[in-house]
Amino acid sequence: MTRRLLHALPAAALALALVGAWEGYVDLGLVNPIVLPAPHEIASVAWSNAGLLAANLELTAQEVGLGVLLALLFGFVLGVLIHLSPALRRAVYPLAVGSQAVPIALIGVLLVFWWGFGVLPKLFVIVLICFFPVVVTTVDGLSAVDPDQLKLLRTLGASRWQALRFGELPAAVPAALSGARIALAVGVIGAYIAETSTATSGPYAGLGHQINADINGLQTPRAYAAAAVLFLFAIACFYTLALAERVLAPWAHRPRGESR
Amino acid sequence: MRATPTSARARTVVSLLIACACAAALAACGTKQDTISPPAAKPFTVMLDWFPNADHAPLYAAISHGYFDQVGLDVRPIVPSETAEPLKLLAAGKVDMAISYEPQLLLARDQGLKLVSIAALVQRPLTSIIALPSAHVQKVADLAGKRVGTAGLAYQAAELRTALQSAGVSPSSVQEADVGFNLVGAMLSGKVAATLGGYWNYEALQLEQMHKHPIVIPVDHAGVPSYDELVLVVRSEEARLDGQDLRAFLQALTRGAQQVRSNPAAAAALIVKANPAAEMKLQTASIEKTLPATLPSNKSNPYGWQDPSAWAAFGSWMLAHGLIHSNPNTAGLPPFTNEFLPGQGI
Repeated sequence: MTRRLLHALPAAALALALVGAWEGYVDLGLVNPIVLPAPHEIASVAWSNAGLLAANLELTAQEVGLGVLLALLFGFVLGVLIHLSPALRRAVYPLAVGSQAVPIALIGVLLVFWWGFGVLPKLFVIVLICFFPVVVTTVDGLSAVDPDQLKLLRTLGASRWQALRFGELPAAVPAALSGARIALAVGVIGAYIAETSTATSGPYAGLGHQINADINGLQTPRAYAAAAVLFLFAIACFYTLALAERVLAPWAHRPRGESR
Repeated sequence: MRATPTSARARTVVSLLIACACAAALAACGTKQDTISPPAAKPFTVMLDWFPNADHAPLYAAISHGYFDQVGLDVRPIVPSETAEPLKLLAAGKVDMAISYEPQLLLARDQGLKLVSIAALVQRPLTSIIALPSAHVQKVADLAGKRVGTAGLAYQAAELRTALQSAGVSPSSVQEADVGFNLVGAMLSGKVAATLGGYWNYEALQLEQMHKHPIVIPVDHAGVPSYDELVLVVRSEEARLDGQDLRAFLQALTRGAQQVRSNPAAAAALIVKANPAAEMKLQTASIEKTLPATLPSNKSNPYGWQDPSAWAAFGSWMLAHGLIHSNPNTAGLPPFTNEFLPGQGI
């Protein structure tokens, strides 16, 4: 336990130093608080608006959870297909790369035209933003498999499917999981982009929507409070997945410094 | 080389991921199902111009008092992601009505969209030139040699030019900066001396409530022809075919507007309910301040009245400034109609 605490010490110290510097910057009057509120003000606003933030976090968390899961599935399957078919690789890879440059604000109205004012347009945006790291890491992981291992499998009479199934896929999972972690971290900002670039109905429409409404309403401290919730949510997602990874795919986790 | 006996684990991981994603996909399908409502009321979606705020008070009052239900309309407001979205989705047939701005409607019609305004929610410009005392701007002429922030809309830049010319200032002596939607922030941080684009019933009130004592000059007090800041827009085809619904809508809305006048605080509470990010004090002040601008100057005209001569003058101004290319006063059907207002038409 003490070791755990010691491990967390650098992160806590750095966070404290940054927040302290921020607090000092605002308290010294170097910036108008409506432009940058002080951390203590943000904390007190977060406390008094806990209900609103929680209701919006629930929505955003659902979007991120669903969106990232769909992105993982889509990205992993696409990665495997690209690995298996050089023709598909040539056809799809440039498009996948280009998809990352599509300005979401431009297509938001089209997505709403197709799928209405519910969660579907938002999920699409999150998948669009998140699938790419999964594809890249999966493809790289699949092609990084030890050639000797594949040779051995072939010598033992393994079919293409069996080679993939017993050789390449297990070797690719660690890389794909790295992609998943990137996707999850990016998924949170993806949800913000999704919520702010598509129309909505209903009073609660997620933290991203709330941030924009608060910016417009000059409620800067509450916008920062919502941003802080997103910030912590992204960190929590990342470490939850890392933990799940250690439990589900322990071979993917190698202690630092240990070489193959 | 890594050992392979872990492939069973890999299978677990992969099948787990797939199972999760399938569950997610199923859940997403589940959310698509709409709740079944009694068939009596006809669904009617209204896309707002912006987050729910004081300007939409009559709409929310009419919804919550059941005035729309009484005329057989199930009105559902939709919040857009940006101000150009409502007219696009209206033209695309995704919503039944859009709240927009007279200049924006004229721009959209110039692009060939077949849309028409059927009522004015706000009868005059809300867009204002706003400055803080520290910038030493008391009147438009004081802007000479200074930097002015706008939200980056072409017609706002034209409004600024007209205001400067009316005050005898050469527009080239003023530097225009696109500050996006961060008008107030740009002023508070001292990056611009003034802004054009904020509303006298919103941004100006926010600054007053922060005790910043802003100087506020509505654009129609600075030489720009008056226009209806907020209008209710429908597709021209619907205006031709569904006149009954539109007439019923405006009747109910008029009753909502009467509610707002008789009890502004209750109306503000409805706005805060619809938009939890809104603030009660500001919304109440904004509703009270806006009330005079929601009524036609000539009391014999009904709520929602659009002044034909004002529309003609503003259309000519947009044409003269090259914002639109065909004359809205002569080309095709007029951009507005009063025929669906209570007591008008037929």
